[in-house]
Amino acid sequence: MRTAPSARSVAATANVRARKIVDAVATAVLWVMATSIIVLLAAFIAYMIYLGWSALTPSFIFGMPKERDAGGGVGPEIYNSFYILVLTLLFTIPIALSAGVYLQEYARRGKFREIVQFSAESLATVPSIVMGLFGLLVFVYTFHWRYTALGGALTLTLLNMPALLRVTQEALSSVPDTLREASMALGGTKWQTITRVVLPSAIGRLTTGVVLIAGRIYGETAALIFTAGLSVTVNSPYDLNPFHTAETLAVHLWYTHSESTVADVDRIGNGSALVLLIMVLIFNVAARVAGRALTKRFTGRAS
Amino acid sequence: MIALQARRSRRVERLALFGLRVAAGFVIVTMAALLLYLGFEGTKTFFADHVSLGTFLFSPAFGVDAGQPGSAVFVIGSLAVTLFAIAVGGPFGVAVGIFLAEIAPHRMTSVLKPAIELMVGIPSVVYGWLGLTLLVPLIRTHTSSPAGFGLAAAGIVLSIMILPTVITLSEDAFRSLPAALKEGSLALGATRWQTITRVLLPSASSGIAVALILGIARAIGETLAIQMVIGNATQIPASLFAPTATLTTEIVTDMPGAAQGSLLEHSLFSMALLLLLMAMVLIVLVRLALRRRT
Amino acid sequence: MIKSPPVTAELPLDTIENKLVADNVNVFYGAFQAIKHASLTMRGQHVTALIGPSGCGKTTFLRALNRMHDLTPGARVEGSILLDGEDIYGPDADPVVIRHRIGMVFQRANPFPKTIYENAVYGPRIHGERDKRVLDEIAERALRQAALWDEVKDRLNRSALVLSGGQQQRLCIARAVALNPEVILMDEPASALDPIATSKIEDLIGQLTEQFTVVIVTHSMQQAARISDFTAFFHIGEIVEVGPTNQIFTHPKEKRTEDYITGRFG
Repeated sequence: MRTAPSARSVAATANVRARKIVDAVATAVLWVMATSIIVLLAAFIAYMIYLGWSALTPSFIFGMPKERDAGGGVGPEIYNSFYILVLTLLFTIPIALSAGVYLQEYARRGKFREIVQFSAESLATVPSIVMGLFGLLVFVYTFHWRYTALGGALTLTLLNMPALLRVTQEALSSVPDTLREASMALGGTKWQTITRVVLPSAIGRLTTGVVLIAGRIYGETAALIFTAGLSVTVNSPYDLNPFHTAETLAVHLWYTHSESTVADVDRIGNGSALVLLIMVLIFNVAARVAGRALTKRFTGRAS
Repeated sequence: MIALQARRSRRVERLALFGLRVAAGFVIVTMAALLLYLGFEGTKTFFADHVSLGTFLFSPAFGVDAGQPGSAVFVIGSLAVTLFAIAVGGPFGVAVGIFLAEIAPHRMTSVLKPAIELMVGIPSVVYGWLGLTLLVPLIRTHTSSPAGFGLAAAGIVLSIMILPTVITLSEDAFRSLPAALKEGSLALGATRWQTITRVLLPSASSGIAVALILGIARAIGETLAIQMVIGNATQIPASLFAPTATLTTEIVTDMPGAAQGSLLEHSLFSMALLLLLMAMVLIVLVRLALRRRT
Repeated sequence: MIKSPPVTAELPLDTIENKLVADNVNVFYGAFQAIKHASLTMRGQHVTALIGPSGCGKTTFLRALNRMHDLTPGARVEGSILLDGEDIYGPDADPVVIRHRIGMVFQRANPFPKTIYENAVYGPRIHGERDKRVLDEIAERALRQAALWDEVKDRLNRSALVLSGGQQQRLCIARAVALNPEVILMDEPASALDPIATSKIEDLIGQLTEQFTVVIVTHSMQQAARISDFTAFFHIGEIVEVGPTNQIFTHPKEKRTEDYITGRFG
């Protein structure tokens, strides 16, 4: 049974043209949406640089804060931000790394793992203010410390541990099993395999994750207000004692714009916001650069 | 010699394993401690101060001095602000997620993705400060709002803040779909947009649900950015531009002044407990959504 | 299984003998040339099989026939492919229309996560058909043509994913024929199926040629010998030999063809 060749052509019909117009319009709308995000971000950054640039004088960056008069600086606050950051990482990295190694390398299944995962996921969703109150309860009330850098750091540890745990898990699971098998086949123990093969392979991603989380810690506020406090010790602002009251830059930015009545709040705000932005940019770039460099160094691959 | 080595390394192994297990257990201990401590402190309102649960949840009367612990205003405030944020930021975020997964050429992706990462890194105080210095004056001059503070300002700031979360999770949801699905639809003569709306979007629905739920979680938990622009007035918002307060902002505003052991302090802890429970409910919802996928 | 004399290029291009004609087709992925100077006439209402060792380009060639390479960034198709004498890569040609007339069934069944009914009517729906009665008729017709109707007629509203692998593949065939295409391209449609399901699909292909032109890629020579009228042998991106299936398998003219068929490589 032979039928004649079709009467249809290959050119577009009206129906096809209509559908293509819908497709084009929808695509254009999405393009606009996506571009608007980039534009918005660029506008924010430009705005912050424009306003804050003039505020970045040495007396601002290194000077002491003033309660009411104009002319205060944020030196101790910047110091405290770094201090708490380092302290937090000192606690968070060993715990999260160990837990992550355990979950990915030793306990791939089982009830224990499920409970840990669930706890970690729940902890990750806890609002930072709630964690701050928890810190208040434990460190300030129960332990009877007053507002301390250590209390703040410990609270931040609890807050960021789930995030770093997830980073560790993802970094470890990105290492192919064939590497582990090869090491074991050569007679390596599990621990040797982990420390000599798996961790070095994953170190690039781990570092990127750690640096990005460090960036987040640097900007953390809500959890610190009730644990690390709202002031700095006047006589020894660059204190190494972890029990000193430690207002960070981010907290200071909030404090000056809500509770305090300092005279040149605008200047302090502009300057602080810009410093925070610069720190975020540095952390972001450093995360990528360090990650890539370490991966190359330890595995010889590009990623 | 080898036997000694083996024994020593086995001991190292056991020690290491023990240490690792402790670390993992620490996560569970933290969660338990959180629940216990906050549960204990947060229920003092009901046990020590004898406030009924109904009064706490539903009474709009909250007076710092008058001893009234009704948190309805703040619950409504939290819900309202979150609703605004997800209503605006949700669809926008999903759309951009689709864009990244299906439409964006490589050059656009290499600009957009770092931009989104940067947005994640910006501290919430800075968003709040931006809202305070940019958005609030804008609202003040262009609308009926007297001071510019209010629900709308907080909602807009929050929408922007949850965008990265929704975008990246939506993008992941689309990228994890098998390519055969898209090919099958296109091979039948569908346009790309038809393929996205009729095949890809329904297939990715559970992933998108996760993206939205986590966006909501982010919104409910946000404190400072909202507190700086919402006006912190203990009133149920009558309009979009009326100042109000949320659970989180109320805690931050009144906790510094709350005396230890007072009804106010207990109420604030109860609010924190409420927030904690809401977060856990959201986690359960996420797990349900993920289970539906498989 | 040949019904008429072999194809000749002297016949006018818009006759059924020359339903789908590839003329000097080259396909590039970036700088790599995957298909070199391929010319092939695929005869209307017959089955043309494309055989050859892995990586020889037969799937690449197949996908050029319905412009699927448009979706791959960096892929380029040169030459012309004529459907009833019109070049599907011509300036006026629209891929959406072409894919309406040239359907495709993939190696792994890829039903949409929708109901069986929705899968069957997806094609007509996206091309604008809205009348429920018309869609119902189309669904029944297509599912019958795919020899699936009796098995699913009572559960059209169940998810397509509960069907067996063989049934899912027949659903995909139904989905393709629902659009009343003229040509059906099949990329190793039975390679992921068990022997029983495979033979059902092969019987189906035989029935499909009453209405459609079929071009099928297969890695199984036995399958090609069983179901096709014409066979084209591909090797490293070129069409080495083409002819009636009988002749290719019993008296191949090229040494490479003979080597492949007798199993010396591939």
